[in-house]
Amino acid sequence: MANFILRKAEPKDVSDILRLIKELAKFEEMEDQVILTEKDLLEDGFGDHPFYHCIVAEVPKHHQSADGHVIIGFAMYYFTYDPWIGKLLYLEDFYVMKEYRGFGIGSEILKKLSQTAVRTRCNSMHFIVAEWNKPSIEFYKRRGASDLSLEEGWRLFKIDKQNLLKMTDEE
Amino acid sequence: MDFTIRAATLEDCKDISRMILELAEHEKVSDQIKITQRDLEQDGFSKNPFFHGIIAEVPEHLKSRDGHTKVGYSLYFYTYSSWKGRAVYMEDLYVMPEFRGKGIGQALMAKVSQLGLAAGCNQLNFTVLDWNKSSLDFYRKQGCWDVTSELGYHCMRCEGDALEHLAQGDL
Repeated sequence: MANFILRKAEPKDVSDILRLIKELAKFEEMEDQVILTEKDLLEDGFGDHPFYHCIVAEVPKHHQSADGHVIIGFAMYYFTYDPWIGKLLYLEDFYVMKEYRGFGIGSEILKKLSQTAVRTRCNSMHFIVAEWNKPSIEFYKRRGASDLSLEEGWRLFKIDKQNLLKMTDEE
Repeated sequence: MDFTIRAATLEDCKDISRMILELAEHEKVSDQIKITQRDLEQDGFSKNPFFHGIIAEVPEHLKSRDGHTKVGYSLYFYTYSSWKGRAVYMEDLYVMPEFRGKGIGQALMAKVSQLGLAAGCNQLNFTVLDWNKSSLDFYRKQGCWDVTSELGYHCMRCEGDALEHLAQGDL
């Protein structure tokens, strides 16, 4: 099957991007956490100062998915900064629809992202993985990724909007 | 204590560089720093900055033992959550030891939160080392929660040779 292309996402893709975001979230049992809308994706990804970049995997019409989609995979990323080593590429989401796995599409996406990282002089690519997601962890470790939480003890923290507002009120 | 919180400028890079080194020494990893003062100037203060900075400054009569008036800083940048949209990532937060316990850290963090909220962000994210008990306590008090512990997300990294191999499609 291996007939697919990888390309930069365009404004017309936001509907498919949101669909795939929700599919990935469902897999992580976090579907109810997705509050992002197509409008957000459009404004935040295709305005003057995009908050994210996206590549999509597209198959020809005659290979469309069971429910009629041709956009069957995506990766969402942006650039971050480490004051010790400089620019980094942060991989926010990376997903290929189940029926299209095992054809090397995921590997090609990762290759394209790494090429982008190297081309834009990023020293590293960072991302997070759920510790129960053994197949993904293996996939990444096979490609030389290291688990910073385990190896260096880094823990990811978050403050949500309610508490952010509280913090600014106390000032 | 009398202090001001303001946006960092190009002229602050010398002190930011100094304090980055102090923070790295505190985290016991100062040999990992590859970024110079000049890199910070280029990466943070050109047309498309990779990060933003804020500085905590005290008046001349309250300067540190070795004569510094810039006594704390935070480096942050904007990221994107595929679930919630715009987010702000606090990369570094540091106050010189002799100026701690006076609300400067809290004020720096409040400023990052304000700027994040103003830019339409829904969350503030950052990482903390698991042995850093005083920081963990400080952040929990601000209403933060540990995504790594509670949801099992691990921070991963792909760098150096591994990144190059990935870009070439080697396995």
